[in-house]
Amino acid sequence: MGYAAAKGGFDAIRSAEELVRRHRLEARSSWLEIDQIIERLGYAVDRVMGEGALWDPESSAIAFRQAEGDVVEAAHLVRAYRSTLPRLGYAELVDADEIDVLRRIVPAFREPPGPQLLGRTPDYTGRLLERSPEDESRRQAALAAAEAGDAAAAALADDGRATDGSPTDADTAGSGLEPARVPGRLMDVLRSMDLLVDRRRDDDPAAADISRVPARPGAPRSARLSAMARAETGALVQLWYRNILGPDRNIHEVTLGEVRHGRLPVRAEHPHLGRPVTVGHVRVTEVEAIEDLDGNDEDRSRFDVGYGLCLGHNEKKAIAMANLDIALHRDLALGDDAGPLEQSVLMTTDGLDASGFLEHLKLPHYVTFRSMVERKRAMAPAPVEPEATATEAKAVGASSEVPVG
Amino acid sequence: MTTIEDLLQQPATVEERKTPILDESSKREIRRACLTAVAVPGYQVPFGSREMPVARGWGSGGLQITLAVVGRDDVVKVYDQGEDGGVNAANLRRLIRSAEPVTTTTDPREADVIQTRHRVPEDVLVDGQILVLQVPVPEPLRGVERDMTELRRMHAEADYAKMWVSLYEDIVRNGIITQTTGYPCLVGGRYVIATTPIPRWDVPPLHQARFLSLFGAGREKRIYAIPPHTDVEPLTFEDVPFQVEEVVEPCRCGLIQPDEEPGAYLVELPGQTGETVWACSDTDWCARRRLEAGLLGEDAIDALEVDL
Repeated sequence: MGYAAAKGGFDAIRSAEELVRRHRLEARSSWLEIDQIIERLGYAVDRVMGEGALWDPESSAIAFRQAEGDVVEAAHLVRAYRSTLPRLGYAELVDADEIDVLRRIVPAFREPPGPQLLGRTPDYTGRLLERSPEDESRRQAALAAAEAGDAAAAALADDGRATDGSPTDADTAGSGLEPARVPGRLMDVLRSMDLLVDRRRDDDPAAADISRVPARPGAPRSARLSAMARAETGALVQLWYRNILGPDRNIHEVTLGEVRHGRLPVRAEHPHLGRPVTVGHVRVTEVEAIEDLDGNDEDRSRFDVGYGLCLGHNEKKAIAMANLDIALHRDLALGDDAGPLEQSVLMTTDGLDASGFLEHLKLPHYVTFRSMVERKRAMAPAPVEPEATATEAKAVGASSEVPVG
Repeated sequence: MTTIEDLLQQPATVEERKTPILDESSKREIRRACLTAVAVPGYQVPFGSREMPVARGWGSGGLQITLAVVGRDDVVKVYDQGEDGGVNAANLRRLIRSAEPVTTTTDPREADVIQTRHRVPEDVLVDGQILVLQVPVPEPLRGVERDMTELRRMHAEADYAKMWVSLYEDIVRNGIITQTTGYPCLVGGRYVIATTPIPRWDVPPLHQARFLSLFGAGREKRIYAIPPHTDVEPLTFEDVPFQVEEVVEPCRCGLIQPDEEPGAYLVELPGQTGETVWACSDTDWCARRRLEAGLLGEDAIDALEVDL
């Protein structure tokens, strides 16, 4: 009976695990080190941290290696690890204006207040496969490492990512902008131009903790933003594009006001001092999306803004999130005429939910399938042959009455 | 031992645990959700479902309940599709044992907590036992309504009209109610629940049962319960009796015959050459009966010797 066999189940699992383990340990290439993953596969580590909802580059790198490069699987490992840890407290709210930017662009203006800082991005680099010989690449890397002076600097110079989110030489080198890394915000400019609807409110003061209270339709905006912040990147991009080109049509193109990648402090109340202390930093991607209001009941003379923020460097996710945030706000403002977008965002974008449920189809289903076969036979018209009819009638009639209640 | 008391008991101390899966405060939160579910039979209690070492959709809800309700020295049975030795059951059993100070069994009569995927044991469960059911889709009305806000209203107002209409339409179109597993039932005369995808065969034992049933939907983050001695009525019409899957062919060992007591839920095993044999889905129950009848085959020994 194959993989569901009585005693074979446990043996089969052990064998499968042995195959996994053996491939990991006995592959002929050299062992993949954690610092290599953090430094050289940074976008993957950032996605694992974002979707795993835990700022911990080392755990995420370990998870990514253990998952053999499957980001959702790695996020699962990180979240299951989270489940073993007690929730000791909440960080203080941090003003996003404290951000120390590594990159900041404002597509809405040519010369916005504060810097346009392209930073580290492949946006304007031709997507050409670099087929340079491996030996040559290694030689250049070694040369660069030597030039950088010491090995530690060489390791970080790769992309300016420090594992603890702290600034590195590479972050600040050559920009000439060290003191001005905390730019103003375009929203303030729009507000001063009286071009922005004011929908600041005080009924959602602290971020909802969706890991303790499930985010369901009717949840506060902070819960929606939290759900999107840890959603699967591809799911948000797909939902965004579905609304652009698909049947849902909740979104039109926004103009991006802010696209930032930078560091934010994390502060928690000190248990003895009783005042907030900075316990570390996280890198985040932050996006503000300016929406042109064109609804009948909307203020046509002003803009509104959607907001996106996620752990790590993941601009696709933050942009989709900001656009979906404002689309959700506008849709929910329709009251009873609101569509299913809120439910789609809250219920269908979590990577662990979606892929876990999809993959559960691989589990044995023969009990339920037998029940389905039984109903098919009960529905089938009785055959004409006398003998077959008798058998079939028995099968149908055999679904006997059961006293209930 | 009373099950409600179990839920109120303090958990095992941290020192007794081996490889933690859930922290203690999370377990307390889940126990509280279970108690709420017991207090409002059939109501789907939202809870802060945690991520488990098994994927969502693989019993993560059932696993959270089991980890939260087991006490020191409890005996746990885990089975899947009626089978103790299947891959998923073996994996979950291993995880539970690695995390909590419990022992495991295949015999449901010995178990304090039975975690199951899609079956209720053929044995009659008694007072003090907890049946933990893994639930993929906790919402019984999803087939007739997708909007969650509207679903909440329908449950709140016990407005199950759409469900009744759909059952009626089913009969008009197909001549029978075609619902296969997870048959919708009214619990305690108030809430309609999805009976997970257990077969209809397993629904009658839930009615006025002596044991507590806890349903855990990890992905959808809900827990619901059927407390002991609660009415569980499958939705059907006065003139359309509720039908279970019946025995249509004898079981391969001949101990289960059509129209004879005791029946059992049989599964079909199609052979390579077209012949079909039938076997009990509940492997432990089947093996014990064969043992008693002196019909012990090799697979029966296997069933009773699942690696615990």
